[in-house]
Amino acid sequence: MTNSPPDALLALTNVNTFYGQAQVHFDLSISVPRGHIVCLLGGNASGKSTTMKIILGLVKPRSGDVTFDGASLLGLTTPQIVRRGIASVPEARRLFADMTVRENILMGAFVRDDREAIAQDLDKMLTLFPKLGQRLSQRAGSLSGGEQQMVAMARALMSRPRMIVMDEPTMGLSPLYVDRVLELIRTINREGVSVFMVEQNASLALEIAHEAYVLQTGKIVLSGSARALKDDPRIRDAYLGGSEAA
Amino acid sequence: MSSWLDYTINGLIVGNVYALVAVGLALIFGVSRLINFAQGSIYLVGAYIGWVAVVQLHTPLPLTIIVVAVAAALVGLIIERFGLRPLQNSVRIAPLLATIGISFVLDQLVMLTFSPNPRALPSQLPDVRFQIGGGTIGPLDLLIAGVGITSALLLFVFLRYSKLGWAIRATAQDRDAAMQMGVDVNRVNQAVFGIAAALGGVSGLLVGMYYNQIDTAMSLQATLKGVVAEVVGGAGNVPGAVIGSLLLGLVESYGVAVFGTSYRNLFAFLLLVVVLVLRPNGLFASARQAPPEPLTGTFIAPSRPVRIPRWALLVATGIFAILPLLPVSFYVLQTLINAWLLGMLALSLTLVAGTIGQVSLGHAALLAIGAYTSALLSLTFAVPVGLAIIGGGLMSAALGTALISPSFRLRGHYVSIATLAIGEIVSLVILNWESVTRGPIGISGIPPLSLAGYELVSPISIYCFSFIVMVVLALLQGRLLGSHLGRSFRAIRDDDIAARAYGLSLNRYKSLAFIFGGFAAGVSGGIAAHLYSYINHETFNTQQSILALTVVILGGLGNVVGAIVGAVALVGLPEVFRIAAEYRILIYGIVLLLLVRFRPQGLLGTM
Ligand SMILES: Nc1ncnc2c1ncn2[C@@H]1O[C@H](COP(=O)(O)OP(=O)(O)OP(=O)(O)O)[C@@H](O)[C@H]1O
Ligand SMILES: [Mg+2]
Repeated sequence: MTNSPPDALLALTNVNTFYGQAQVHFDLSISVPRGHIVCLLGGNASGKSTTMKIILGLVKPRSGDVTFDGASLLGLTTPQIVRRGIASVPEARRLFADMTVRENILMGAFVRDDREAIAQDLDKMLTLFPKLGQRLSQRAGSLSGGEQQMVAMARALMSRPRMIVMDEPTMGLSPLYVDRVLELIRTINREGVSVFMVEQNASLALEIAHEAYVLQTGKIVLSGSARALKDDPRIRDAYLGGSEAA
Repeated sequence: MSSWLDYTINGLIVGNVYALVAVGLALIFGVSRLINFAQGSIYLVGAYIGWVAVVQLHTPLPLTIIVVAVAAALVGLIIERFGLRPLQNSVRIAPLLATIGISFVLDQLVMLTFSPNPRALPSQLPDVRFQIGGGTIGPLDLLIAGVGITSALLLFVFLRYSKLGWAIRATAQDRDAAMQMGVDVNRVNQAVFGIAAALGGVSGLLVGMYYNQIDTAMSLQATLKGVVAEVVGGAGNVPGAVIGSLLLGLVESYGVAVFGTSYRNLFAFLLLVVVLVLRPNGLFASARQAPPEPLTGTFIAPSRPVRIPRWALLVATGIFAILPLLPVSFYVLQTLINAWLLGMLALSLTLVAGTIGQVSLGHAALLAIGAYTSALLSLTFAVPVGLAIIGGGLMSAALGTALISPSFRLRGHYVSIATLAIGEIVSLVILNWESVTRGPIGISGIPPLSLAGYELVSPISIYCFSFIVMVVLALLQGRLLGSHLGRSFRAIRDDDIAARAYGLSLNRYKSLAFIFGGFAAGVSGGIAAHLYSYINHETFNTQQSILALTVVILGGLGNVVGAIVGAVALVGLPEVFRIAAEYRILIYGIVLLLLVRFRPQGLLGTM
């Protein structure tokens, strides 16, 4: 297991998480180097979404530490963590269904006060996600899944984050949209945003990630560079949905 | 008032007043999925602050409105900060119970400060009426309409264009996602409570002026009407709340026009029950929308109940059984008789609330049904009192179950609203069905308790009778809960979806629980009727329902021994400490608040 290197932007160290009596994470340690895409792989109920919630402060670990840019996040509330520069694309997107697409995207800039720059960023989003242009005044709940994913990503970018965490961004999307989303993640990353993403589909994730971790019932069982893992026979194990990867 | 146009105007004006309450409820429900039962108390506080401003400080009208809005908003902020925020991570029923406790405390504080007597609240407006079409309209009507429309517009602009307004809307739609956008949910709650309270307070002021009278009974009425309007419009739906309010105002006004004033509330609650049963998401929700009520975690989780050894229970029962033989005063016996009667009601409530998770807020209606049945059976048909009481129990079981059964598919807070409404309906039917219930006059000359021809008039005999009946009911309920049936009940409470998946027929089990619970409560009401010898439609009121709920939570939800211990504690302790009657309700409210905050599992633990 890699120890968190000094240039890690985000680091979880020996995190143990419980829901009531049930332990979900066992000494979880993950680090996201500045500027990298790091992927957390794992089967159903392995504790992936809970990892996202730990980072965002929605769930607090019983022990261990979570640091962002060297400072611990544990004492902070979710809004405070967001203000530190972490944006999120939650599981199942979680748009504000009854608000318009425009309002949803602008909600992403909630932590900012620079009106003009926000307006410019909105324009930028429309070049990055051209399809959303015609949909701006539509109810977000009425969009297709792929379009909703675009809105969720635009919304996350609007806070000008240093890091984005994404929970299964390709889930339930058509192959066309899956490619589009992966490409966008690369683009976002190239512009300097670090990415931490959760995926069930190993072959997809390993295509774009720099590093990856494999989570199995709350324990990291495998980690390393994406290139090395791609060739690792263990990655084709059943818990990763190996049939697709094969 | 005579013409239809007049009734329409009156309906719309009253609807405007309801809207001010209901919009606040909708905002709060929207962001925190909470029905704020303290909303009516804030309305009451608003009316009394208005009274102080108008009558004692002689403030001009615009200033009065501002003073009331600001003061009420402050009360709202205090409630949010100290009453509800500490409960953020508690079970879902906790904040609901807390708002009930808060409303008791506020109402009682107002009553203690201003006395329960009604006061006049002059409107300061000239008493002229303008002719329009076939009806008339006065300056106060215009003021109310103006305040209503202005507030609606301001609220719309605020929600649409301000940052905080966006935060409120986002939180209402997805709390977690809003937090992930950086929204501080505590600030949103604060804002919403402040706005809701300001609107509610102004509403109280306007109503006081409209009827030129304020009194402490306004509080519960306002909460009920606001809740009706809000649910009709769709819980959490702000524009829906406005439309629901106007609709409610019209329905009431036309109902009054056709049937008379005493029917006003009956129409309101019938509207509520019909909407709850047919369209629980309100009239305007699209059918696809899931109910906004979270489906699980509504109940206080089972804790490890305190194990009381059987011998200790036997010894305690023995001591209470031979108590009349000891040199105790009649006063002690009298107090304990009250405790046994309340204990029976609590047994009933702890069964339906703690075991199948239907937190009833209208349980006193079951007392009323039992009491009236037993009284009328013995008076009109000369049925022996013992049999009449059993008849009362059976009638409560049957009627109570029949009335509640359409609401079986509701969950969580909606069950509580439905039971509250049904409780009100029962009392209103008793009030209006004069040929049977003798209406507002009530029933007097009810024969005293008797058994096999022997009248039980001495406190000792009444004590023994009520104690034995309660012990028998408690034993039966203990058996019931220990059986397979009891386990099925708890499975339904813990997760009704899973229970259904196991093939449990929910309605059948809920009916069984209400039949047994209705019987126990009906018997308690029956005994009470023969004890009091006079009853009317107000003898068994919402205050008693809430008292029973406090007893049940004090003892531990679902806990049979707990229900009795809770009843003895709540009836007995104020006597022991010689607390004056007017402070008792205040104490009950505080007890409920403290329990919810510090010991939700009660004294003996939930089952
Ligand atoms: N709020 C909660 N309360 C109790 N248990 C929870 C809660 N949320 C998740 N769990 C449990 O914790 C475990 C891990 O859940 P988590 O959502 O993190 O898994 P996941 O890896 O994201 O699964 P999936 O692939 O289905 O999204 C599961 O067993 C789940 O049932
Ligand atoms: Mg998940």
